[in-house]
Amino acid sequence: MSTDKSSSHISQRYDDELSGVKSQLFEMGGIVEKQVKDAIQSLLDIDSRIAEHVVKDDTTINDMEVAVDEDCALILARRQPAASDLRLVLTIIKTTTDLERIGDEARKIANQAIMLAEEGPAPSGYVEVRHIGHSVSTMLSQALDSLVRQDVNLALEVAKKDKAVDLEYGTAVREMMTYMMEDPRSISRVMGIMWSLRALERIGDHARNIAEHVIYLVKGDDVRHVGIKQMAKAISDDD
Amino acid sequence: MSMNESNHSLSSNASEYSTTTGQIEVENPKMSMRNVDVSYGDKQAIFNVNLDIAKNEVISMIGPSGCGKSTFLRCLNRMNDTIESCKVSGDLLLEGQDIYDPKLDVVPLRARVGMVFQKPNPFPKSIYDNVAYGPHIHGLANTKFELDEIVEKSLKKAGLWDEVKDRLDQPGTGLSGGQQQRLCIARTIAVSPEVILMDEPCSALDPIATARIEELIDELSANYTIAIVTHSMQQAARVSHRTAYFHLGYLVEIGSTDDIFTNPSHKLTEAYITGRFG
Repeated sequence: MSTDKSSSHISQRYDDELSGVKSQLFEMGGIVEKQVKDAIQSLLDIDSRIAEHVVKDDTTINDMEVAVDEDCALILARRQPAASDLRLVLTIIKTTTDLERIGDEARKIANQAIMLAEEGPAPSGYVEVRHIGHSVSTMLSQALDSLVRQDVNLALEVAKKDKAVDLEYGTAVREMMTYMMEDPRSISRVMGIMWSLRALERIGDHARNIAEHVIYLVKGDDVRHVGIKQMAKAISDDD
Repeated sequence: MSMNESNHSLSSNASEYSTTTGQIEVENPKMSMRNVDVSYGDKQAIFNVNLDIAKNEVISMIGPSGCGKSTFLRCLNRMNDTIESCKVSGDLLLEGQDIYDPKLDVVPLRARVGMVFQKPNPFPKSIYDNVAYGPHIHGLANTKFELDEIVEKSLKKAGLWDEVKDRLDQPGTGLSGGQQQRLCIARTIAVSPEVILMDEPCSALDPIATARIEELIDELSANYTIAIVTHSMQQAARVSHRTAYFHLGYLVEIGSTDDIFTNPSHKLTEAYITGRFG
């Protein structure tokens, strides 16, 4: 059952409060999505100007997390939400945490970009960044879409992609180690890329968390720490 | 320290709650109460309560049974006058005017400060007459047309018009409990009050009727000042802007409802709203 399909509450203000936190969350999602794209771009183009923007805008995300959580706490205290409303508020609180962490990871990537820009020519490993970066930004966009549309099938796609990203990350780490062994002088720069890849992989994990929250929101089933198969089963169950 | 221990030590010592925590003053108060004491015969029910009520705010008063919240509310339009043994002292001002001034006529006061009671109490008259009675005796309408208008407007504001417009001549007592309570609210609104006092307005109603009254309170707060006494803390949390917590006749804490229900300052308030005593 979707909270959007359900009719409105008798209390107009309650409706306003819920849609208020929802739209704040979506706005926060949009900003985080852009932060991640910009961070990847700044790393690929070694553009410290974009990177500095990403670092600076992270405080906006932090402020939004606090604001959304505060509003959710008030809704819990004042309305005692039940059933789908309760799941919505819990989902929002959890999702803000993941979004804020994604923001932190984007800031880390941007910081690496700034450092690499100071060090000169592009190190090896950009192919991996481009590839994993693309997968991860797609995952994040899809996770946010699945949240807005309460689309559990799309959420499942995100979880599946996370598995693939984890594998790609493992491969990329081995590649980086080869680069470092081949040319020890490049170690510090390749390490910069490694940290960025690590941050991307973490962003993928957070996107998967968001997708799991969506399944909980819509289906009421907690699908954290279960395999894809069980997740798919939870989605197909009609309840 | 366990909550039980703290309750025990708290409730035995009046000095821990005899001064009010929180901001009692507001700018341009609609009503302002200072040093209010109330006793029934020898028994004192309210001790030195100081509180301002702001214009167009919804203020709720909560607290365990016998804490004096209803007694205090009833002072605000001199409803306690009807109880022989009841003595009220202190300053109680409505827009700066002493409402306990012996020269003041209490009838127009109660039109300015209306009251809705726990049990819906419509007059044994038609729906129309229930609402029209007040404006009629207060001379608020000169013609039948004006009176009709007041009745319609009041019923609309109370969210009852659509349900009763085709049967205005039928007895008010024939309505459902929730409808009767909204009829009583319409009756109160009909005399254009400035303040509406509500004493447990939903305690006799089912959850849906309660939700409708609460929604109504929210709408009415645009034009009226509302003071509500409720046993349901959740209701206080839902409808009010500020919440006052009473305990054994003292006003223990007053604060914004958001603060009271997320981070109260006084441990008694905390204990009460978290369901640890009361």
